[in-house]
Amino acid sequence: MPSIHFEQVTKRFGTTTVVEDFNLDVADGELLVLVGGSGSGKTTILRMLAGLEEVTEGTIRIDQRDVTSLAPRDRNVAMVFQDYGLYPHMTVRENLSLGLRLRKVAKTEIDRRVAWAGDMLRLEPLLDRKPKQLSGGQQQRVAMGRAMVREPLAFLFDEPLSNLDAALRAQMRIEIGGLQRRLGTTTVYVTHDQVEAMTLGDRIVVLADGLIQQIGKPIELYRSPVNRFVAGFVGTPPMNFVEGHVTAENGEAAFMAEGIQVALLPSEVSRGLITLGIRPEDMDVELGDQADSSASKGFPGSVVLVERLGGTSHIHFDSGPHRLLAAVSNERLPEVGENITVRLKGERIHLFDGERRVTS
Amino acid sequence: MRAEARSGSLMVAPYAVFLLVFAAYPIVFALVLVFLQWDLVTTPAFAGMDNVRLLANDGRFWRAVVNTFVFLSIHLPLQIATALALALALNRPLAFRSFWRAAFFLPVVISGAVVAILWSNLYATDVGLINGLLVRMGLNPVPWLTDPNTAMPAIAAMVTWKNVGFYVIIYLAGLQYIPRSCREAIEIEGATTWQRFRHLTLPMLLPQTILVVTLSTINGFQLFIEPYVMTGGGPLRRTYSIVLYLYTNAFAYQKMGYAATIGVALALIIGTVVFVQRRVIGKAEAL
Amino acid sequence: MKVLRRIALYGALTLAALTFIYPFLWMASATFKPLTEVGTIALFPDNPTLDNYRTMWARAPFGRALLNSIMVAGTITLSVLVFGSITAYAMARLRFRGRPLLNAVTMGVLLVPGQLTLIPMYTLIVQAGLIDSYAALILPYLFNATAILMMRQFFLQIPQSLIDSARMDGMGEMRILFSIFWPLSKPVLSIVAIFTFMGSWNEVLWPLLVVREQQLMTLPQLLTVFSLGGGAGSIGVSLASAMVLVIPVVIAYAVLQRHFIESMASSGVKG
Repeated sequence: MPSIHFEQVTKRFGTTTVVEDFNLDVADGELLVLVGGSGSGKTTILRMLAGLEEVTEGTIRIDQRDVTSLAPRDRNVAMVFQDYGLYPHMTVRENLSLGLRLRKVAKTEIDRRVAWAGDMLRLEPLLDRKPKQLSGGQQQRVAMGRAMVREPLAFLFDEPLSNLDAALRAQMRIEIGGLQRRLGTTTVYVTHDQVEAMTLGDRIVVLADGLIQQIGKPIELYRSPVNRFVAGFVGTPPMNFVEGHVTAENGEAAFMAEGIQVALLPSEVSRGLITLGIRPEDMDVELGDQADSSASKGFPGSVVLVERLGGTSHIHFDSGPHRLLAAVSNERLPEVGENITVRLKGERIHLFDGERRVTS
Repeated sequence: MRAEARSGSLMVAPYAVFLLVFAAYPIVFALVLVFLQWDLVTTPAFAGMDNVRLLANDGRFWRAVVNTFVFLSIHLPLQIATALALALALNRPLAFRSFWRAAFFLPVVISGAVVAILWSNLYATDVGLINGLLVRMGLNPVPWLTDPNTAMPAIAAMVTWKNVGFYVIIYLAGLQYIPRSCREAIEIEGATTWQRFRHLTLPMLLPQTILVVTLSTINGFQLFIEPYVMTGGGPLRRTYSIVLYLYTNAFAYQKMGYAATIGVALALIIGTVVFVQRRVIGKAEAL
Repeated sequence: MKVLRRIALYGALTLAALTFIYPFLWMASATFKPLTEVGTIALFPDNPTLDNYRTMWARAPFGRALLNSIMVAGTITLSVLVFGSITAYAMARLRFRGRPLLNAVTMGVLLVPGQLTLIPMYTLIVQAGLIDSYAALILPYLFNATAILMMRQFFLQIPQSLIDSARMDGMGEMRILFSIFWPLSKPVLSIVAIFTFMGSWNEVLWPLLVVREQQLMTLPQLLTVFSLGGGAGSIGVSLASAMVLVIPVVIAYAVLQRHFIESMASSGVKG
C-alpha cells in the first residue's frame, strides 16, 4: 500500500506549466528525495503535497485518502522549512508543543512527546530559550522536533539544510537520515544538492522543468542514468561529456571525436552523432605518451591543472578541443603541460543521443 | 581635525542657540512659572505652592482628566480593533490595494480643524448627515454633541476615524515581518484562522500594538481642536480637555502661572500613563 | 467558495473606504447647496450654487489666509530642510566637542510634550513684542528635532569615501552637503519636506495663541475662528471655507499619496 500517491498531478500558473503530469508512489516508511535545480518544480510538488499550493489537475492521496482539496491542517503532515519557520515569540518548548496544544491534546501526553523529541534531538538544555538565541543547527533540530512531536503521516522537508554551512550540513544529513530510519515515518525531502540526495534517499526523483527525468535508487541513478541531464546531475565531480560519432567497420566499433578515439563493444551501438559520457573516477591515467595510440590503448591528453586533494587527485587535461577531468588515486602525478594517456573503463562508458544507449 | 571641529561647531551653532531659546529656556521657565502668578502685564508675583494646591483641588482640571480617560477607554480599543482589521484585510494581493490604503489614510492628512468642523456638521442633531441616515433607516435621531453621555464617545469615534489610517500603515508594516514560513507552519500544524491570529499574528504584532496604544494615548491627552470646535468643552463640561483648559487659562483668564502648572501636570500625567501602559502590555504578552 | 469570500472582502473594503471618503464628498456637495437644501443627504444639489463661496470670500480674508499659510509653511519647510540638513550633516559626519550631548538633547526634546513649553514660549513671544507677526508663527519652528534625527540617520549611511575625495578636491563642508549629500538624500528630504509642510499647514493651537489680527491668520486658524465666531452663518459657508484648506491638500495627496503615506508614517506625525 503506497503511503503517498501522486496521480497525474499538474500545476499551472496562468499559462506557465510548472509541474507536468507528475506520477509517483511513495512507499510507507520510505525517504524519498525530490532533487533538481531551481525551477524544476520540486518545491511546488512538495507544497502541493502539504496543501500550500493548489493542484491544477490530478489527485494526491495520503494513506489512501484523497487530500487534493483538503486544507493543510486536515492532512496530518508535518513540514520542516528552509528557514525553519520557528515562532520567534515562543520558547522552544512552546514551539514544539503548539501543534498539540491547538488540537487540545492532554497535557501529560504533550509533555511526554516533547520530552521524547527533546531527548532524541538533544534539545533539553534549550527548551526554555527563544529561537533567536539558538544557532542554525539547533533551530533546525527544533524544527524537526516540532514535526516529530505530532506523529504525522509524513514528514515534508523543504531544503532544510540550505542555510547551514558545509560541515554542519554533512553532520545534519547523518542525523536526519538516522532519525528517519528510527522513526520509520514516510518522508518526502526536497533539495537541490545531489550529494544530499544520494546520501539520504532510499529513492530519488530527478526533476527538470517540471518533468520527471528519472526515479530510482541512488546507485541506479549513478550507474544507469537514463538521459544526459541525470548523468550530468548526479555524481561529483560531474560526468565528462564529449560529442562525436560512432563508427563501425570490420566488426569493430569506435567512438571518434577530435583528439579522442575510444573502442566500443560492437553490438548495441548504431551510427551517427553521439555524446560519450564518462565519470572522472572511471578513467585511468598514465604518464607519458603511448608509443602506439590505437583506439584500444587510450587517447592522449595534455595536463592543464592538477588538484591534489589527498587520497584522490583531480587532473584537468585537454584532448584536442575537449577539456576533461579525471579523478585518480595515482601515487605519481603529472605536472602541468605534461602529456598523459587516458583510458576509459569500458563497462562504465555511457552513450547518449538525448537518450541513453546501453553499453555493458 | 581642528578644522573639522571648527566647521562642525559652527554648523550646529544656530541649532544650539535655537535649542537654548526654544527648548531649554521654555522647559526651565515652565517649571519656574509653576511658582509664579503672572498676567503678562504686571510684574510676576511669587505664589509659592499656590498653583499646585489650586490644581490639586481644581474640579475643572480633574473633570478634564476624567474626560480624557473616558475618551481613551473608547478610542483605544476601537482604534486597535479597526486598524488591525483593516490591515489584515489589506495584507494580501488585492486589486486596487493602493486605492483602499489611500482612502483610509486620507483623513490623516486633513487638518484637525477641518475634520472637527466637518463632523460638527455630520453630528448636527437636526441637519447632520448621520441623523439623516438614521431617520432614513427608521431610527430616532441622536443628539450626539449635546447629550452629555454621547458627546465624548462621539468625539472618540471621530478621532478614531481620523487617525486609523495611520495605524493601518503601522500594522501593515508589522505584518510584513511575519515570516511566510511561520504562517505556513502554523497552518500545517492545524491552526484555524482564529488560532493563527491568536497564537501567531497578534503576538508578533505586539510592538506595533504598543506603538498604537502609546501614540493614541499621547494624542488623546493632547486633544484640543476637537472639543474647542465641536462642543466648547460641554455639554456639562463632559468634553472639556486638559489642553483646552490650559488654553483658556492663558488666553482668556491671562493666568500664565496656572496655565504653566497645567502644562507641567499634563506632561507628568502623560509620562506616567505611558510608562504604566508599557508595563501592563509587556506583562500581558508574557501570558 | 473562494470566489464568494473574495467578493465579500471587496464589498467590505469598499464599504470601509466609503466611510472614509463619503464625508468629504458630502462636505464638498454641501458647499454647493443653497440654504434651502442644507443638511440633505443627497450628494448632488438640486440647485447648485456658488453663493456659499462668494459669501465666505467676502466675509473674511481667506485669500490672504491662504497666502499666509503658504508663506509660513513654505518658510518653515525651507528652513527645516536647509538649516536642519546643515545641522544633521555636522552631527552625522563632523567630529566636534559636544556632539554626543547635542545628540542626547535632540532625542530628549522629542520626549517633551508640546503643551509643557507652550506657555513659556507664549510669554517669550509676548515679551519680545512679536504678537501678531509672522516671526511669531515661524521662529519656534525653524528647527525640527524629528527632521534632524531622520536626516542625520540617513547621512550616516553615505560612504566616507565620498566625503574624503571631495575634501581632497578642496570642497568645503557646505559644498559637500549641498552638492553631494543632497542629491543622494532625495528620499529622506522629500519625507521631511512633506511632514514638515503638512504639520505646519495644519497647525492651529499656536496661531490661535499668538495671532489675533485676521489679516495675519493662517488658513486653519481663520477657518476655525470664522466657523466658531458665527461669521459663517450657515453650514454651507462654513464648509466652503474648509474646502479652501482641503482642496490643495487633497490634490497634492491624490498625486503624491505614496509619498504622503511614507512620510507621515515614518515621522510618527499625524495631521
